[in-house]
Amino acid sequence: MSVNLSTDQRSDLDHPASNPESTKMKHLSRALALSCVAAAFAAAPAAAAGDGTIVLKVGKVITNAGAPIENGTIVIENGRIVDVGPDAAGRWDAPVREYPDLVAFPGFVEALTNRGMDRPNENVDVAPFLDVRDSIDPVNFYFEDCLRWGVTTINVQHGPGCVIGAQGHVVKPFGMTVEQMSVRPRSGIVMAASPKGGKSRATQAQALRRAFSGLRRYLEGVVQEKRDGLDYATREARYQGREPDEETARGRVMAGSGWKVEGLELVPRWEIDEKQEPLLRLVEGKVPAFIYCGSAMDVRVALEVATDNGFVDRTTLVLSSSCWKAADEIAAAGVPVILSATLTAIERDPVTGEEIETFVPGVFAKKGVEFALRSSNASTRSLWYQAAACIGHGMEREAALAAVTTAPARMLGLETRVGTLEKGKDGNVLLFSGDPLSVTSFCEFVFIEGEQRYDRSQDVRNTHLNTGAQPENTAPEEGAGEGDDAPDEDGDEDDEEKEDEDGEKD
Amino acid sequence: MLETVTLMAALAAGADRVDLDAPLVGERTTVFRASAVHLGDGRVLDRGVVFVQDGVIREVGVGLEPPDGAHVVDHPGDLSPGLVALHGFEGGGGELVDTTRPILPKADAATAFDPDHPDFGRSLDCGITTVVLSPPATALCPGTTAVVKTSGGTVVRPRAQLVVGLSSTALKSNEFPTSFAGALAALSERLEEPTGAFRAAASGELGLLVKAGTRSQIQRALGFVVEHRLRGALYGSYWAEDLVGEIKASGLSVVCTPSDPGDDARWARSIAALSAAGVRLGFGLDAPGRHPHCLRFGAAVAARGGMTNEAALTALTGDAAAIAGVSDRLGRIDRGLDADLVLWSGDPLDLASEITAVYVDGQRVRGGER
Amino acid sequence: MSLAITITTVLVCAGDVEASSAPMTATGGQNLAVYADAVYTSTGKVIENGMVRVRDGKIRVVSKGEAGEGDVHVAAVTAGMIDLSGRISPSGDVEESNEITPHVRATDAIDFFSVSWARQLRSGVTTAMISPGDENVISGLCAVLKTGGPRTLSSRTLAADAALRGAFGSQPSRRNHAAFGRPTDFYSRRPTTRMGVEWEWRKAMYDAIAAAGDPARAFAGHERLMEVLRGELPLVVQAWTTQDIRTAVFLAEEMAAHVEGGVRLVIDAGAEAWKEPALLVRTKAAVILPPFDHDGRTSDGAFMAWNVAALLAEKGVPIALSSHNAGAAADRLAVQGAWARRGGLSFEDTLAAVTIAPARMVGVDERVGSIEVGKDGDLALWNGTPFEAGSRVVGVVLGGELVVDPRGEE
Repeated sequence: MSVNLSTDQRSDLDHPASNPESTKMKHLSRALALSCVAAAFAAAPAAAAGDGTIVLKVGKVITNAGAPIENGTIVIENGRIVDVGPDAAGRWDAPVREYPDLVAFPGFVEALTNRGMDRPNENVDVAPFLDVRDSIDPVNFYFEDCLRWGVTTINVQHGPGCVIGAQGHVVKPFGMTVEQMSVRPRSGIVMAASPKGGKSRATQAQALRRAFSGLRRYLEGVVQEKRDGLDYATREARYQGREPDEETARGRVMAGSGWKVEGLELVPRWEIDEKQEPLLRLVEGKVPAFIYCGSAMDVRVALEVATDNGFVDRTTLVLSSSCWKAADEIAAAGVPVILSATLTAIERDPVTGEEIETFVPGVFAKKGVEFALRSSNASTRSLWYQAAACIGHGMEREAALAAVTTAPARMLGLETRVGTLEKGKDGNVLLFSGDPLSVTSFCEFVFIEGEQRYDRSQDVRNTHLNTGAQPENTAPEEGAGEGDDAPDEDGDEDDEEKEDEDGEKD
Repeated sequence: MLETVTLMAALAAGADRVDLDAPLVGERTTVFRASAVHLGDGRVLDRGVVFVQDGVIREVGVGLEPPDGAHVVDHPGDLSPGLVALHGFEGGGGELVDTTRPILPKADAATAFDPDHPDFGRSLDCGITTVVLSPPATALCPGTTAVVKTSGGTVVRPRAQLVVGLSSTALKSNEFPTSFAGALAALSERLEEPTGAFRAAASGELGLLVKAGTRSQIQRALGFVVEHRLRGALYGSYWAEDLVGEIKASGLSVVCTPSDPGDDARWARSIAALSAAGVRLGFGLDAPGRHPHCLRFGAAVAARGGMTNEAALTALTGDAAAIAGVSDRLGRIDRGLDADLVLWSGDPLDLASEITAVYVDGQRVRGGER
Repeated sequence: MSLAITITTVLVCAGDVEASSAPMTATGGQNLAVYADAVYTSTGKVIENGMVRVRDGKIRVVSKGEAGEGDVHVAAVTAGMIDLSGRISPSGDVEESNEITPHVRATDAIDFFSVSWARQLRSGVTTAMISPGDENVISGLCAVLKTGGPRTLSSRTLAADAALRGAFGSQPSRRNHAAFGRPTDFYSRRPTTRMGVEWEWRKAMYDAIAAAGDPARAFAGHERLMEVLRGELPLVVQAWTTQDIRTAVFLAEEMAAHVEGGVRLVIDAGAEAWKEPALLVRTKAAVILPPFDHDGRTSDGAFMAWNVAALLAEKGVPIALSSHNAGAAADRLAVQGAWARRGGLSFEDTLAAVTIAPARMVGVDERVGSIEVGKDGDLALWNGTPFEAGSRVVGVVLGGELVVDPRGEE
């Protein structure tokens, strides 16, 4: 993990609330949450070896990489799956758990979320030097919900209210600190082709382009300074009466497939402004890019900026539902997409008033574009539901499941680690009471890297939701008013779902 | 002003004020000869001749010999009845509505206008000789309309129609009515009254002028009218295209809302559809807010959109008078009707035609010596 | 009953071959057959590899059947669904100049051109109840309408004046304020609290009893209130929280002592009905449940546990599900059925809660609510087992006409 040159890490318990009411809610709910953490969300006592080693014998194993295995066994050692099959067997001392009535499934992968953080958008337009790991709140209810709904790999990123946003982080929904949760740091930089609040599309596009042309000018500037001997290190050395050190004098040639600045090898990397350095790595093709598109016209800008600056091969577009109209352009560019939680785009003919519904994932599937689904704000519409809804619209089960497992895994560069139950992958296993996509199935247990992290029978909040039963010694639920989570950041989602009345001329 | 109205009202007696069979006195007669005389009922007389005496039309025909001593006006262009605008606010100056109560059936537009107001002059310039002054639709029942001549301020017919406003401007946020349901319930209750304007409406004596905008508002209005067996006219034609059958079945006439040059094709299509279905049509205006030439302009657009030229002219004249309940006085060129005439340089529905002269009650009020 | 069906089946099979290849006539006299892997009739009977034939707007045959080339063939057929609290047009139209308006009809404010009708129809809801808004204590008369067909009240109305609508809780008092000094507008009035709302209810009911005895005390709609007290007209009240449900139940019981008959109470949006089901059983009240919420928090501070439907069904309380006209497809009535299943409601009870149970609550079960010969030809066609996350309504038959064709799907 590279050194984070920005702010110090803050303890999650000290982080400021955005308003007193939410602090109060957080305290009340934290009481509930911590008791949950104790009961449902910790490692099961004694039974596990504590080193991610376990053998699970279940009624059915859906590997998501072939035919399901009846009465199968999954063997996990040190957090990795070492064997899956009807006759698999583990170490002699590995704990064995038998669930003949349950169905195993790999943990779902959330391709991109803005939840689980303090505030998902930053005021500063261009902020690639920020990192969400300073913002992730491990005790946020979102992560608890992820466990409930079986989402075990989550790409936390800044929201679309930016020109260029922060660097993201892939986490698992377990851990008391970000380090404990970390799966892959610096998982990509977000950008927005859709306008940030207060900007028009033209100014947004211009700001995006300017960020990169600014980078280029900056790099050319530092190279020139070096050549002229006017850079800080050289001047300092001369002032001290010595020549600049040999070992610090060497930088690295600029890499990447886009534009290049000649002579960048003259500048040591650590001398490059920390605000620009992440963009440089982006342009060198070293970091994935996620570009938000609010409408079909944004897609053109997004692809253009990515192509002109050499990172289109690492680009994934994050689309709102109306972007299905740009599917041909996206297919031609060969970039994968992350779709919004709104699966059906509704348009109204202004003259006849008739509504036309378009099933968005179907459009991309037909054009051969790789896509991932997102869960919605309301956690009932989590990834399992989105996949099931796609099947309801006629998609094949395999394709729908891929969109919430292997496709997002690939977009995050984690295809060798998550998405299926196969040898060599992380031991992220969900145990369902029935078919994972059935509304009557519950996720009973969640194992992350071989350790049990969720047991529904101990999930106090889930019991309360399902039966109204309140556990002893907890404060009563607050009545009316806003909920626990971070404010709504998927702005465009809710706008599309809002009820709209016909606007007839009076 | 009240005295003027009373005086004018006194002049507004019936057509039987004149003995139509008495011989004509040449000196008091004006004879109009035009290449086309539009009678206002769809018929056109080629080289027609019209005799007018003492402000009343005495003869209409072809090849008639003028009486001796008559003043003859030979006009190379067209002659038509004066145009009738079925809705307007001329001369009202904001006094046409009282917002203290949502239902005020006794308020009459005839008491609320200034006959000398320049609004009337402007309407007259555009060939409009009669206008139906109406309280605006900002209240549920703001009063009754009055049929008024634009020259001389004659009230041809006070309390002509009971206005019912069923568009969203009639609803309030903190006064009754806040809902259409409540509004209709209240109106239904008023229709049970033993006397007054509502009684007259319920019995069919007094026609309604129902103002509605959107399709659902129009539909609601039609339902109300049919349920209570009322008669009258609907003011609100833009969306009528989708409801032609229901409008026809209700028996209501339609006063077309004024048109703007910016209006899309739907405005004209709705009117053409109504015309094709045989619904009686007239055109409304909201002068002085809109310039009065929009009346003829709208009719010409409607004519281009599918309505025939003659049907459009009829909607501006004879049918309009029928909707306003004054066909015994004006709107057509026929024996015994008021001599409200317009001389045009060409077809009245041709926007290139200009007005040569306007006569009201036989007096020339616009145009040069001929 | 089964004998009759067998006979019909035999007769139909003979003619079936011709019928299925006969072209469909245009509207009026349209003869349509729908085939499904499972026909869920809502009568307790499920017909596998079944067929439903509709003609002249009514269901004529319900039996087994083999689909042919080009026939409408889906995974499942249910009766068209019924949403008693769909809250589609008119939404929010309520005469607020008076808190008690039992004479006002919601249908006077209806907007047939609202997009909500088509949305509901597309999602399989063929019948909906139209109610006035809940800003008033007693807001007026509800009607039950079909969600499609010619845009006229006469052709869509299934039952006019089907129920009287009112509300407990905080919504009716929300806009009112105390008139300190001079009243500014008619919102300076009682009720400003829940107590005030209950007081208005009690006063209206006692006033209606007085008016029944003395014509001088008559007021608009008092006859309707008497019909409610006598049990002739169902009373649908919005009561989210348990305290509001209690208020409604206790008031109904109190009035039963004064008027012979007893109120037919239907609690709409009874989110907290799970807390005291015994009360509902005692009054024989029915409950229309609001949409499920992902964390249980609904309106007016009420918490709705997900097992509410299952719990009430177990206690024998009649339940119906509703969608409150959510715009997104994901929250419409079919999905509420899925969430009810998740909360433990059985498949049969879920099916009933969106078909026959709401029909019975408002007295239209002679016409709709189940697939039986003689009932209206309103059907929902599904591409999977109903009330599953992976199933959707893909076709709709309304009044015997195929208004949404499942064969149009790519």
